[in-house]
Amino acid sequence: MEDGREKKKPPSPKFCINDHVDILVEILRRLDGDTLAVAACVCRLWHSITRHDSLWESLCFRHVPSPPPSGIKPIVLALGGYKRLYMLCLRPVLNRLSRFGLRDRVDHVQLTLSLFCVDYYERLGGGGGKLGESSASSSSLMFLCRPVNV
Amino acid sequence: MGPFDGGSSSSSSGSCAGKSPEIDGLLAGAGYKVRSSELSQVAQRLERLENVMVNASNEISQVASDVVHYNPSDLANWVDSMLAELTHPQYPPSDLQNFPHHDSWTDQIGNQQNQNLNHNQQLTMVSTMMDEEDSGIRLVHMLMSCAELMQRGDFSLVASMIQEMQVLLIRVNTRCGIGKVAGYFIDALSRRLFSPSSAVCGSDSALENEILYHNFYEACPYLKFAHFTANQAILEAFNGYDFVHVIDFNLMHGLQWPALIQALALRPGGPPLLRLTGIGPPSPDGRDTLREIGLRLAELARSVNVRFVFRGVVASRLEDVKPWMLQVHSKEAVAINSIMQLHKLLYMDPGRASAMDTVLSWIRSLNPRIITVVEQEADHNQPEFLDRFTEALYYYSTMFDSLEACGLQPEKSLAEIYIQREICNVLCCEGSSRVERHEPLIKWRTRLSESGFKPVHLGSNAFKQASMLLTLFSAEGYCVEEKEGCLTLGWHSRPLIAASAWQAVPDEPTRKRDREGDLSI
Repeated sequence: MEDGREKKKPPSPKFCINDHVDILVEILRRLDGDTLAVAACVCRLWHSITRHDSLWESLCFRHVPSPPPSGIKPIVLALGGYKRLYMLCLRPVLNRLSRFGLRDRVDHVQLTLSLFCVDYYERLGGGGGKLGESSASSSSLMFLCRPVNV
Repeated sequence: MGPFDGGSSSSSSGSCAGKSPEIDGLLAGAGYKVRSSELSQVAQRLERLENVMVNASNEISQVASDVVHYNPSDLANWVDSMLAELTHPQYPPSDLQNFPHHDSWTDQIGNQQNQNLNHNQQLTMVSTMMDEEDSGIRLVHMLMSCAELMQRGDFSLVASMIQEMQVLLIRVNTRCGIGKVAGYFIDALSRRLFSPSSAVCGSDSALENEILYHNFYEACPYLKFAHFTANQAILEAFNGYDFVHVIDFNLMHGLQWPALIQALALRPGGPPLLRLTGIGPPSPDGRDTLREIGLRLAELARSVNVRFVFRGVVASRLEDVKPWMLQVHSKEAVAINSIMQLHKLLYMDPGRASAMDTVLSWIRSLNPRIITVVEQEADHNQPEFLDRFTEALYYYSTMFDSLEACGLQPEKSLAEIYIQREICNVLCCEGSSRVERHEPLIKWRTRLSESGFKPVHLGSNAFKQASMLLTLFSAEGYCVEEKEGCLTLGWHSRPLIAASAWQAVPDEPTRKRDREGDLSI
């Protein structure tokens, strides 16, 4: 019996990625948004790593034809961070533009940032106008989330 | 007509022969054969026929010349066929279902009915669908006739037409398309007729107006287009200036300004010092709405490290604003932003100076770097009611069409209420209470050029940005067009909103303009 159990025990791995966080970070930095979100569900370590904004920073402007304006980082951070920028604005914008084959041709950075700024403003409570509802949800960006009416 | 022709001609003889005890004796003496049991029904249908004939006067001649008339002595049949003629001119009457299913009805029709039952069911279905389309088209025609009667002052006829239209409205799907638009226009006509006082056009509550405006902002891209295009022009005009001052003619929630603040923050060379003066109506409950908005904008500006100063100017009408209230400093670049505000100045009170001239002259005296003007692209300021009505019908039908693409509730419904209030103001109000005096871009161009302004081309960046904004909007029907340096946004090639930019033509040095208040140029 004990022999059988010993036979079933897997051999101990020589290399565990979780022991080498710097390599893990390098790998995760190169993933696309959806895969990154999936990676966040793997284990607690991966989850905490993927919550670092710097990971999303490299994702955000990967496909832009021209480099983003300098001084953009403090502004993005002040308005909510790269992860939020990606999830709320960039991802739907890129999806929409891909549908029309424009993703790599059009410089959407300024527009995306402006929309992100409007979102921040609304979260401050500046949007107002929702009857009886708290303006915690950014409603002016809802049009980005709706499916394209083809 | 086919199944009836043979039927009715023989039916009268058939019914005469076998059914005489049931025919009403008094009417029979006058030559009409009506069953006693159907007297009330026939009477109602006669009344209906009279209503329809009175209101469809232009169709009577067609009935008189084209149609085969059924034997009028068989009154019941005749009334039904006439009603069928006037309400569904082309298709076999669906009133077939209304015919009482007695065994004692004429043999011919009875046999035909049994044979054609399936066929008729299909026909009824088709004719119901056609009914709706027909009814929609009829509604439009009736709306136009009603508007003409309204202009002529034929108010009693207008009232009965409104009733008739409301009956027709039941047949149409009022949740979308022409039914919905027609519903709002019928409502506007009846308001104009029955309660022409100025208090008709929605409430004056500033809070309500703000909420509706906000929902209009979210439900469709017109306001977003306006904001982004104006911001681009202002951004380009402010290039190289370290002290800039934006004057917003209608602050509302200040949704236009976060994007400008962010764009200025990212400006190569660093952001300028931004002053924003927001004009808005007084808030009734003692809240200082302008100040609250100003505080939020200041907080946002602080987050992105832009030096920001806000000032609120409370005025219920734009012509009440005096330039000294704006406290324009010398050496700062001024931008004036008017999103759908200038048309409110177009009312010409015969005894007083033109509000438009007053405002335009003090705008000039401020010597702004740029003036951004966004207006509805429609001619709703024509003196004749019928012209306004026709133009409004086409304009707002297109706008409602474009709104269909929005799936967000309750934003869409509230946006519709916002539009409905505009419609009511255009159609029901007169004199100083009619503020929605929209004029097309051509007229604005002329007016502004004659008042000492020259156009500034909006540039390709604005166009690209507007196109991109529309790509992000899910509906594919919006189109951006560039016309002589101005941008228009429309639905399916009908422009609905136009954005343009202007600059004051500098005065000749010898001419002095009279200025109001203490100004520094």
